[in-house]
Amino acid sequence: MNDQESRIAHKLTAYLDRGAADLRSGTVYRLQQARAAALAGINQARTAGTELAMAGAGGSTSGRFGARGTPARWLAAVMLIAALGFGYQQWQAVQQVREFEELDLHLLASDLPIDAYLDGGFQNWLRTTFDY
Amino acid sequence: MLANVERRAFKQAMFAVRDEDAALDIVQDAMLKLTENYSDKPASELPMLFQRILQNAIHDHFRRQKVRSTWTTLLSALGHRDDKDDDYDPLETLQSRTDTNISADPAANAEQAQTVRMIEQALSRLPARQREAFLLRYWEELDVAETAAAMGCSEGSVKTHCSRAVRALAEMLKARGITL
Repeated sequence: MNDQESRIAHKLTAYLDRGAADLRSGTVYRLQQARAAALAGINQARTAGTELAMAGAGGSTSGRFGARGTPARWLAAVMLIAALGFGYQQWQAVQQVREFEELDLHLLASDLPIDAYLDGGFQNWLRTTFDY
Repeated sequence: MLANVERRAFKQAMFAVRDEDAALDIVQDAMLKLTENYSDKPASELPMLFQRILQNAIHDHFRRQKVRSTWTTLLSALGHRDDKDDDYDPLETLQSRTDTNISADPAANAEQAQTVRMIEQALSRLPARQREAFLLRYWEELDVAETAAAMGCSEGSVKTHCSRAVRALAEMLKARGITL
């Protein structure tokens, strides 16, 4: 590559610079838009990266829940589980009371007098008859 | 960095694809790829990387165009050859839009704009590899090694392409009355 070629090349590129400077405004605007879109991509990627890093370190409340749902959803799920547990416990208590009621009703409604259950002879008869 | 090179990048794409919309798409693609894939690279490497991406985007454009419409491209090329070959100016549209500025300037300004037009036209007619080498080496001011890396060829090829490009441009312009 000799000096003459280099000289000619630099003269030519000076003209090319002028051509590039004379782009019409619409083209320049579209180039600016393209650049802005490309740079916005960088900023979004950086923001996402920062959020992920903070979530990984447990430094962000929103990040902690971000992967699986909002805090409100988590709270609703916990409250539903608690309500179901409480309901089941109440249902079991009611069932037990009903069983006692049925037993009492049966004892009271049977032909055998209630005092018989308290009689010592009856206890002996049970023990000898059923061997318990 | 992108702000400094975007106009030249657009021009480079225009010289190659001769279509303003396609050239803008190519530059936008190149910018996006640079920012998506290489934003963590040192600033000194970015110009060469951008040029490499840009050249690849231009090549991809031609590959897609070839696959998509082989027949259309062929007929279009034949159509251009049937026209007045020497009068065909792919940058006519672009340049006609700048005429309003030029006409408001003195005669010297108009003459200079005419020279720019002729040089751009000559560049468009260079073989693609020569044009790439010339623009990267002299306009983008990459060194020989960087140009070779951007073009994916040897440094020797870069020197050969550059030398031939300068000679061809000088001859084409001389034929049109421009001595450099």
